[in-house]
Amino acid sequence: MASYTESFRFGEFVGSVLWLIFWVVIIFSMVGLPLLFVVLFYVPLPPMGDEVLTPYLFLTMVVDPTRTVPIIKYMIHTDLFRVTAFPGFTYAALLAAVTIYFERKFLAKMQLRIGPLYVGKIEGWLQLMADGLKLISKEIIVPSGADKPIFWAAPIAFVATAAATTALIPVAPGWVVADIDVGMIAVFAIFGFFPLIALLFSWASNSKYPFIGGLRALHQIIAFEIPFIISALSVVILAGSLNLTDITNSQINSYWFVFFLPISAFVFYISSLAELERIPFDLPEAESEIVAGWITETSGMIYGLIQLGTYLKLYALAALFVVFFLGGWSGPVIFPAEIMPGYTGEKIYNPVTLSAAFWFTIKTFGMIVLLLLPRGISPRIRIDILLHTGWYKLIVLAFINMFIALALIYGGILGPGGLLVR
Amino acid sequence: MASLEEKIEETRRLGLQVVKETEEDRLMTLSVGPQHPGSGHFRFTVKVDGDYIVYCDPDPGYVHRGEEKMCEYRNIIQNIPHLERPVIHDSTNVTYSYSLAVEELMGIEVPRRGQFIRAIASELNRQVYTLYWLAIYGIFLGHSTMFMWPAGDRELFIDLLERLTGARVTHAFNIPGGVRNDMPEGFKQKCLEHINYYEKRLKEYEDIFYNNPLFRQRTEGVAPLSKEDAIKLGVTGSVLRASGVPYDIRKVEPYDVYNEIDFKVQYMKTGDSFARSYVPFLDMKESCHIVRRLLDKMPESGEVRTKLQPNPKGPPGESYKRVESGRGALGYHIVSDGTPKPYRVKISVGSFRNMLALPFLLVGQKLADMPAVYWSLNYWPVEADR
Amino acid sequence: MSNDSKEESKKKATKASAKSPANSNSNPPSQENAAPPAETKPAPAKQEVKPSAEPAAAEKKEEPKPAPAAKPAAPPAPPAVAKPPAAAAPPPKKEPEPPAFEKGLAQQITIRFGDVVKVLYIKPRRIKIMTDPGNLVEVATFLRDNMGFDHAESASGTDYPKDNQIEVDYHLGSYSHDDLLAHIMVLATRTNRDDARIPSLINVYKSVEYHERETYEMLGVYFDGHPRNDRFLLPEDWADIPPLRKDFRIKGR
Repeated sequence: MASYTESFRFGEFVGSVLWLIFWVVIIFSMVGLPLLFVVLFYVPLPPMGDEVLTPYLFLTMVVDPTRTVPIIKYMIHTDLFRVTAFPGFTYAALLAAVTIYFERKFLAKMQLRIGPLYVGKIEGWLQLMADGLKLISKEIIVPSGADKPIFWAAPIAFVATAAATTALIPVAPGWVVADIDVGMIAVFAIFGFFPLIALLFSWASNSKYPFIGGLRALHQIIAFEIPFIISALSVVILAGSLNLTDITNSQINSYWFVFFLPISAFVFYISSLAELERIPFDLPEAESEIVAGWITETSGMIYGLIQLGTYLKLYALAALFVVFFLGGWSGPVIFPAEIMPGYTGEKIYNPVTLSAAFWFTIKTFGMIVLLLLPRGISPRIRIDILLHTGWYKLIVLAFINMFIALALIYGGILGPGGLLVR
Repeated sequence: MASLEEKIEETRRLGLQVVKETEEDRLMTLSVGPQHPGSGHFRFTVKVDGDYIVYCDPDPGYVHRGEEKMCEYRNIIQNIPHLERPVIHDSTNVTYSYSLAVEELMGIEVPRRGQFIRAIASELNRQVYTLYWLAIYGIFLGHSTMFMWPAGDRELFIDLLERLTGARVTHAFNIPGGVRNDMPEGFKQKCLEHINYYEKRLKEYEDIFYNNPLFRQRTEGVAPLSKEDAIKLGVTGSVLRASGVPYDIRKVEPYDVYNEIDFKVQYMKTGDSFARSYVPFLDMKESCHIVRRLLDKMPESGEVRTKLQPNPKGPPGESYKRVESGRGALGYHIVSDGTPKPYRVKISVGSFRNMLALPFLLVGQKLADMPAVYWSLNYWPVEADR
Repeated sequence: MSNDSKEESKKKATKASAKSPANSNSNPPSQENAAPPAETKPAPAKQEVKPSAEPAAAEKKEEPKPAPAAKPAAPPAPPAVAKPPAAAAPPPKKEPEPPAFEKGLAQQITIRFGDVVKVLYIKPRRIKIMTDPGNLVEVATFLRDNMGFDHAESASGTDYPKDNQIEVDYHLGSYSHDDLLAHIMVLATRTNRDDARIPSLINVYKSVEYHERETYEMLGVYFDGHPRNDRFLLPEDWADIPPLRKDFRIKGR
């Protein structure tokens, strides 16, 4: 309901806008431009590939955009770009944002609702941004008696840990931040931090409900960690490597492991749900029992950070599932060899990488949807049933499929020189 | 844990007062409500030993409005609108028994068509209440779809009642002597349409909620209330019927036209949380049939209301009348001293009676079962506080 | 079928009230009022007699309604008439009125307790009996064990400042006896308003626990033997008189 204030005068409005523009121009020309020139002329700039970036080159880019190509080419192969942008944080965060929007619309459709509708005119696609702005502008309330350093550090640690996981995931051939030989173990080692953070945070917030929630999180994640790792171990047995890129490649060489290890895939899926504290297993945040569980005392952006971390984690787990069972980036090359006839894009445009990333994203998103699905159809489970499921049933199931994997290797069907290896 | 189990058993055998805190320092006291998302306007203190609840003390009164005192200051007709405030979702039933009690006190006869319209409104309103209850039961167990679906389908009946009474939630429709206005044109048709659609939806509810294995795991065998205990505690409504007592006021003490309607009292024998949550659902199904039969048998035309004198007053005396509301027997005990204002109105509500079972059932259960047990008692905090 | 009888009685009640409004409205409270003050002063020993006298008056008050035949003459009588006959008398007069089953129930009680228990009215499916606090537990135990009323639906109190008394009504019902399902036995007792104190029925009926707590805080009736006579619905810092007493006035009313 937009309405004008009583004292609104159009002339004053225009005047204030002009005044604003005047000051922006003044500040830019008196401070900004000199600063820019100081930087460009006096600070030695790094060489960009085979060309040295000089102020003159920098200024001529404005005239001829094709001159930026070598710079971009240089940029996208730096580690900084990988960490911050493509396989790293921004990509994951964007996917997480899409996930949140999709989850809301998807659940709404399932429940005969509409979901976000107003913000951004078209189906409320800017709702997330509005929520983020709201969370940023809210006061952060720290409970009295809270252990302040830990209370502040825990949400940041949560996001950092979730983002660290994404660094290990190969999105396309060669596109991974850290391509290490113990990739799988590193992923699980990083996941091992989450219950610790939850417990620390819940203890630090000095309140009873968070405390119960933290203990529940600890119980739950530890109970599911073991079937989780065992189900991934059978993948390692088939692939013969702990390196996530190698695991993907070995699936490209034979077939997707989900065909050989359906039980492992199921166990992995269930364990992911538990790890994510999503709906059948959202006991640590069980609303009607313990308010909001270990995040009861969060407010403002602390809550926002934890949510961001949760969705990053969701992306990481879905991506891991894709890497382990659905063949990672494997898929046909669907992009044309040349952007336009006669122009191949000079190393920036690579159809193989692009379609690999495309397939990976599609698969990951499908997996995310699968992980979202139980929220619409399932009630919450009880802690003793959950622990029983984790310790008794899933571990046994995971082991069964591990034996199948071993049989496949020793039977000569998979593994080096196996029947089904192309 | 065995020692704990024994202790809990022992405290339960002691009866209602289950305060036995031998090892005080290993217990943690949790205050559930009134700002807890799983409590409503109600607080109960629980003490947990590990994950087991060993003590529970309900503390109602956060929405106590003194309805009974207010009744003494207003005359009989003025009392109707404020009496339905405690349970606005079930407002027709709340005023139903008040009207019955006043009619008995003053010896008023309700015209036949008025009786039918009353019964129809009461059945529809019971659906509204039970759907709301079911929605909350769904979200208490973390099933968000079960929260949205009944809350949406509730609109069907709210629309019907809006057509019938003119108001969406608080109708003030039942008055001593009949109902406020006649049924509108085409209501019967619309009502049947909605009910036919709604019965299809009920099947879907059953598929997604009651037949859900996780839901069954959560509720089956949880906090069973035996028939003897149910009778001893004097619980009522669905809680009582879930424990195997087929007691429905509509059947045992039929008021108005219910003795002409053929229906079955729905009950189960297990008395656990599942039975307590399933009986209201069965009631909803049966209620659809009741509405159909009521619509069939209703006389096509006629008076709907006996006109009273402007400021009615009855002879001195007292009456106690009950109806079957969404939460069980709802009785009004009215004492009149011959003036237009009632001398004393006591509202005996199902929620207040079922609350007694809460500490009894919760002790010995796991903390995670708290919402499943609490809301299965069909407890409406505002009604209990009056 | 039971509804027929109900409707009949309703019609009769209609007739009755139509015929006798003038009589029955003849200020019963003041009449009650007139009777007790004479007896209020005496020693506690007499206090046991008083409630029985009181119900008799109350019962006379009810009487004109169901039995239109008699009786402007009857009401003036109570102060003079000896109590036991007065108590015994009304049921025979009502004979055409109450259904046989209810009457049988009432007789069961009168046979067992004699004049300790007064039957105040017998209406279809509703019987009200009055006893003094001293016999309350005994009567309730009898109702539970021998007559099958197994739970209490409510306990409500009514303040009668003119009589300086508070009446507590227990509405007892039955879930386990098929022929009693529809019946409500109202067990009433009266206690002195200044030192309101009656024995708790919690050992007889578990189901009265919260009702008695509510009555305690709303009317200030102390229940001997009840484990928790304390705040329930009202705020913890409530410092006024019990709100359902008649001398508690709502602001502005």
